[in-house]
Amino acid sequence: MVDTKNSAGHQDSTYLNEAYYDQLMHLNEDWQLDGPVPAINQPSLADKLACEALVFAEARLADDLRLEQWLDCYSDKSIYWIPANYPAGDPRQEITLEFHDKRRLEDRVARIRTGVAYSMLPVIRTRHVLGNIEYWQGETNEVRARASFIIDALFNEKHRILSGWIGYSFVKNDGDWKISVKQINLIDADCLQENNTFFL
Amino acid sequence: MKELDNLVQAGRVHRTVYTDENIFSVEQQKVFSETWVYLAHASEIKEPNSFVARKMGQRSVIVTRDKENKIHALLNRCTHRGATVCREKKGDKTPFFTCPYHGWTFRNTGECAAIPHQDAYGEDLDKQQFNLKKVPFVSEYRGFIFATLNPEKGKKGIKEHLKSAASRIDEWIDHNGGDHRAIRISGAQQYTVHANWKCLYDNAGDGYHPEFSHQSLLKMTQERYGSGMDLDYFSGGIDSTPMYSQSLGNGHSFLDQRPCMYENSAFERQRPQPGREAIVEQLTKEVGEQKAKAYFEMATGAGMNLNIFPNLLFIGNQMQVITPLSVGLSDMTWYSTTVDNVPTVVNTLRIRTQEDFTAFGEPDDTANFEACFKGMQEREIDWIDISRHLGRAEDSTDYSGVVTSVISSDIHMRTYYEEWKKLMQSNDASRLG
Repeated sequence: MVDTKNSAGHQDSTYLNEAYYDQLMHLNEDWQLDGPVPAINQPSLADKLACEALVFAEARLADDLRLEQWLDCYSDKSIYWIPANYPAGDPRQEITLEFHDKRRLEDRVARIRTGVAYSMLPVIRTRHVLGNIEYWQGETNEVRARASFIIDALFNEKHRILSGWIGYSFVKNDGDWKISVKQINLIDADCLQENNTFFL
Repeated sequence: MKELDNLVQAGRVHRTVYTDENIFSVEQQKVFSETWVYLAHASEIKEPNSFVARKMGQRSVIVTRDKENKIHALLNRCTHRGATVCREKKGDKTPFFTCPYHGWTFRNTGECAAIPHQDAYGEDLDKQQFNLKKVPFVSEYRGFIFATLNPEKGKKGIKEHLKSAASRIDEWIDHNGGDHRAIRISGAQQYTVHANWKCLYDNAGDGYHPEFSHQSLLKMTQERYGSGMDLDYFSGGIDSTPMYSQSLGNGHSFLDQRPCMYENSAFERQRPQPGREAIVEQLTKEVGEQKAKAYFEMATGAGMNLNIFPNLLFIGNQMQVITPLSVGLSDMTWYSTTVDNVPTVVNTLRIRTQEDFTAFGEPDDTANFEACFKGMQEREIDWIDISRHLGRAEDSTDYSGVVTSVISSDIHMRTYYEEWKKLMQSNDASRLG
């Protein structure tokens, strides 16, 4: 899982720089679609089908707690972002509920895998339902999408519903589509949250 | 409440102190009104005519800054029929609040400004009787806004109440060469905790739990980043480390991790934040290695757990505010802070660091608070133990009454329960009329 380590024994994560943050703010705007995606901006059918398969697989793998395979859905230079505001602001200036590069996303998985993550004992079972997915062409080798979601989470024998919308950016590297950015907008992002230590 | 002498004893507290609805109800009157309660930070209402909606215990309060820059805490309840006057969480350019029900309008000082079709109330109506009720005493210490209904405490001001905690707040703001820069609130992470509010306060000064409650964080960090990292100095014989715990008086307490966390560099110990390498590279290039290193430490947690009774906790670079919603439900809000007059990437790094503990540490604590509260419902077992290092001979008291003990002591709980009992046994609570 970890391939690059520096002399201190930590793996490096160098991609999240000012330009990347600027790109996140650009995406943040682009996900606010106006009307229907015009035909000219539609990705190719093959790309769209590949991205759709990825979206569904990512949700399923999170629900099935196959977290190592879930991580594989994300590119090496990815961002997983749950804003603490609705709509989301600039993560350089305001705190989020979660904001992880690939390295900290791996930390999150590793925490759960220790077996002593008490917030996940008993393990939280989830089911994601994704719908209203709209895809459009981004830059070269990039597809963007947004979807509505509902998550039913079961913890301590109680059901809880989370909902909102997700903004995606997918990139194609060496023939494989991966998630480059996933922004999860909870409709209650700026309200009281419960135990959300599973993956949204 | 004389029975409280039985319920709160030197080394133990009765479970009903946490679970009893009547005690909770009395707390609203006697704790969350009779002492100074934290409401908001000045940076959240920076401009004249801005406001934020907050809770003072269970009361809904609008914290306003009027056009003269005076801060008020108004009860958000229309004096006409009781409707919520202000239904927004925050706003600016708001000199007036108009109740949506019958259009009664109030200045942000609370003064009743207009009653529609007023003539129906008679010609000599004194509108002043319908002013929004105000929490009479509001006081600010270095940007932190507190309020109380208690005239005795109110007249003395917040600094008198903070006692030794005031200089600890100074240290917290200025940590790592902050150089008297102002801090500002940069958003919040808000969570419910299904437990009595005191379960959260119990943990605030608890140096005993990290080795156990935070095992997932410690184990993950060890596996991925090796030893010597953040919080691993809490494992083993912690009471022989130079870290310490203090009772500061008036229920406040302080747990100092700095002797270990800042032994060399706290930034080097910190689990790597997203974007760390890019910011280190950029800042080092821009301001030079030495200055950049000081900024990195400023972006790392303060290493101070400073607890202002009853509802404000300084943890890392965040402030945690505890609000009791019901006897078994609490609002735990983490306010993020940034520093004025530093390169913007310092604050970006500071924010990324503040997202660490709430994702990797606090959720396990919360699970344990909730498990404690569940256990407190068991009728057959009466007591919650707070006796660790009780009567420790080596504990020292300084001229100002600050008691210093070892890091794993329960002194933080004993000191706040002393204050809690004093408040709960005080005479009739102040009323707003």
